[in-house]
Amino acid sequence: MKVKGLKTFGAVATVALALLATSVPATFAAGEEFGTTCATEGVSTGNMTTSLICVKGSNGKLTWQRVRLGANSGAPVAALKAPKGTIEFHHWRPEDKVVLQSIIDKFQAANPGTFVNQVIMNSVDYTNLAYSKISVNKKAAVFVTSRGGQFDQFYNGGLLRDLSSDRYIKQNVIQSALTPATVNGKVYGVPYQSLFNNPIYNTELFAKKGYKVPTTWTGLLAFCKQVKGDGIIPFAWPAATRGNAGQILNSFMMNSAPLAEVKAHVAAIESGKEDLTTDWFKGIATKYKQMNDAGCFPANVAGYNDTVAPADFASGKAAVYPTGTFGMSTVTKLNPDMKGKMGIFGLITTDAKPYYEGITNNTFILSVNAKASATDQNIARAFISYLTTAQAAQEYAVGTSQHVSIINVDYADNIDLLNTSAIMGKKLLLAPRFLFTNVNNVRNPLEDALIAIGSGADINTTLTNTSKTIKQGIGA
Amino acid sequence: MASPALAIYAFLYLYPSISNLLYSTTRWDGVTKPIQIGLRNFTYLLTNDDLFMKVLGNNFRFTLIVVIFQTSLALMFATFLVKNTKMTIFLRTLYFFPTILSSVSVGLIWNFLYDPNFGFINASLKFFGLDALAKNWLADPKLALYAIAVTQIWFHTGQMVIIYVAGLQQIPSDLYEAAQVDGASRWQQFKSVTWPMALPTTAVVVAYTTIQTFRAFDLVYSMAQPASLNGSDLLVNLVYNSAFVGYKFGYAAAQSIYLVILVLLVTWLQRRVLKNKTED
Repeated sequence: MKVKGLKTFGAVATVALALLATSVPATFAAGEEFGTTCATEGVSTGNMTTSLICVKGSNGKLTWQRVRLGANSGAPVAALKAPKGTIEFHHWRPEDKVVLQSIIDKFQAANPGTFVNQVIMNSVDYTNLAYSKISVNKKAAVFVTSRGGQFDQFYNGGLLRDLSSDRYIKQNVIQSALTPATVNGKVYGVPYQSLFNNPIYNTELFAKKGYKVPTTWTGLLAFCKQVKGDGIIPFAWPAATRGNAGQILNSFMMNSAPLAEVKAHVAAIESGKEDLTTDWFKGIATKYKQMNDAGCFPANVAGYNDTVAPADFASGKAAVYPTGTFGMSTVTKLNPDMKGKMGIFGLITTDAKPYYEGITNNTFILSVNAKASATDQNIARAFISYLTTAQAAQEYAVGTSQHVSIINVDYADNIDLLNTSAIMGKKLLLAPRFLFTNVNNVRNPLEDALIAIGSGADINTTLTNTSKTIKQGIGA
Repeated sequence: MASPALAIYAFLYLYPSISNLLYSTTRWDGVTKPIQIGLRNFTYLLTNDDLFMKVLGNNFRFTLIVVIFQTSLALMFATFLVKNTKMTIFLRTLYFFPTILSSVSVGLIWNFLYDPNFGFINASLKFFGLDALAKNWLADPKLALYAIAVTQIWFHTGQMVIIYVAGLQQIPSDLYEAAQVDGASRWQQFKSVTWPMALPTTAVVVAYTTIQTFRAFDLVYSMAQPASLNGSDLLVNLVYNSAFVGYKFGYAAAQSIYLVILVLLVTWLQRRVLKNKTED
C-alpha cells in the first residue's frame, strides 16, 4: 500500500510540476532565433529532466519553455559521504577526461582523503578487454558498461553490486532510464547518458536550400535525390566504421514490425532458428540498398569512415550525419561555427504510420564492483551518488555535449543539447540494435552484411552467406 | 645457472602453453566453470566452420605474397646497399625507418593512402588517367587482403634488408673477383655467387617473415573494413575475436593451436627446401 501511495504521489507530483512549466527568460524565450529547431510541439510524457522544450503557444507562436518534471520518489538527494581511500574509475570516453576530472576534483575536495583515478581505454579496446581487466582488479571499484551484451557479461560474472536500495538511484535518476541496468527488479547501475541515436542535420544548410526533414520513406528517398542533385552528400554514413555505421540499423528496426515481433525475430536469429533471408530482415536489407540506389550515401561509401564523415558534415559537404547526438561534440570541434546549427530527426523508414518516431539509448552504465573491498565499494557508491547530483550531471552534460539521465539538469548552457532536446518530445524506442547480444557471432556479421549491401553488394548472396556464418558461429 | 632461466621460461611459456592446450578441450566463456568437451572444438573447426577455413586460406595467401615479395625486394635492395658508403648507410636507415613505427600508426597512415575518395593512391591513378584502376581497396572483399599485404611488405622490407646486408657482407670478396676474372656479368655474379652464398640468410629471412605474417594482427585490426566481409581477416584476428569479443576462450584456444601447428609445419617445410638447396 505504501508503495502504491508513493507511486500515486509521484504521478500527481509529476503532473503538478509539469503544469508549473514556466516561460524562460527573454534571452531564451525568443525561440525563433534557433530557427526551425523550435518547431516541436509538446513535451515527453513520464519523468524527464529539467530542460528547455520548444512549445507552441495558443497564439501559434513557438517558444522555448522550461519544463520541470519530478522523480517518482521525492526530491533529489545529496551525495553520500565517502570514506578515505583510493579507487579506480574505468571508462571508455577519453574525450570526457577533462570534464570528468573537474568533477572528480570537486568530489575529492568534498571528501578529503578520498581519491578517484580515471583509467581510460578507447571504446573498441574497452568493449573487448574491460571485463578481463576489471574482473581481476579489485581496485576498479567504479566502472561503466554499455547496454546489452557487455552489461550482461559483467552481471553474469557477479561483478555488479545491487544498488536498488540507494536513495540516489530512486530520487536522482530518471526512473525510465534505469531499465537497461535492471535485472529481476534490482538496479545494478546508473545509465548516465541519454543518447539519441538519430540523424543530426545541418539546420542552416536545410534552411538555405529549402530542404524539408523527411517524415516518410518515400520522402526520404526523394530527399536524397534532391540533395544529391545539389552536389551535397545527403547522408554522411560512415560505413567503414562498424560501430557508428550500425546506428542506423536502430531506425530501420524500429518501424520494421511491432516491437514484440522485432524481439521475436531477434531472438530467433540469435538462437539460429531464423535466417537473415526471411522477409523481415530481407526487408531491412532491401531498404539499405534502396538508400544506396537513391544516392543517399557518398561515393565509395564502403570505404567512407568516421573520420571523414563528421568532417564532411562539419564543412557543409554533407547535409545529415546519421549517427546520433554523441557525434555533435566531434562536429563542433571540427568546425566551431556549427555550434547551434544542428537539429535532430527520427529516420522514418515506412510510409505507413510509424510505430516509433526516433531512437534513444541509455548507456554508459555506472556500476560498483561487487568484488572490491567494502570501503572501496562505499567510495564508489559515494562517487556515483555525486555524479547523480544535478550540479555534477549538468557539468558533465554541458561539458561533453551529452544528454544525461539525471533529474534537474538544465541544458540551456549548451545550445546543441538544447536544440536536440526536442526529440525528447517524440515517441522513442530504446535502441533495438542492442537486442542482439551475441556481438561476435551475430551482430557484427549481420551489420557487416548490411554495410556491404548498403554499399552495393548483392542482397541474396550476402544474406545467404552471412546466415551460414552466423549459424556456424552460434554452434561453435 | 640454468634453473632461473628454466623457471622463467616455464612460468612465461610452458605454463600458458599447457593451459591453452587444456582450455582448447573445453567450452569456456571466461566467467563460468569450463566444461570439458574433448576434441569437439578441433573437429568443429575443420568440419563446420567456413569462416575458419576462409581465414585460413587468407592466411596462406597473405603469407605467400608477403614472403615472396618481401624477401625478393629485401634481397634486391641489399645487393645495391651492401657496400658501406654514406649514401648506402643513409638508404639502409631510410628503408629501415618504417620498422620503428608502431603498427597502428602504419595502419592509420595507409588507411589514408587507400581512402577511395581522398587517398593518395586513387588520386595518383586518376591523375595519370587510370581511373579504372582506382578501387575501394580496403572495403572490396577481393582486394582488401592484397592491399594490407602491400602495407605489410612496405612495413617490414627494411628490416629484412638489414639482415640481408649483414649476410651479404660475409660473402668473401675473392669469389666476386674470381667471377669478374672469368668475365661474369653482374647477373651471372648474382646467380652463381650471391644467391647460393645468401641461402642461409634467406632461410632466416623466410622463416622470420613466415612467422611474422602468420601472427600479423595489428595491421588487420586497424585497417580491415566491415564491407570486406572478413576478406582480410587473418587467423590471429579470428582468435582475438573468438576470445575477447565472443568470449569463447576454449574455441579460441583450439584455433590458436591450429595456428601454431601451421606455423611449425610451414617453417619446417621451408627449412627443408632451403637446406636441400644449400646442400646442392
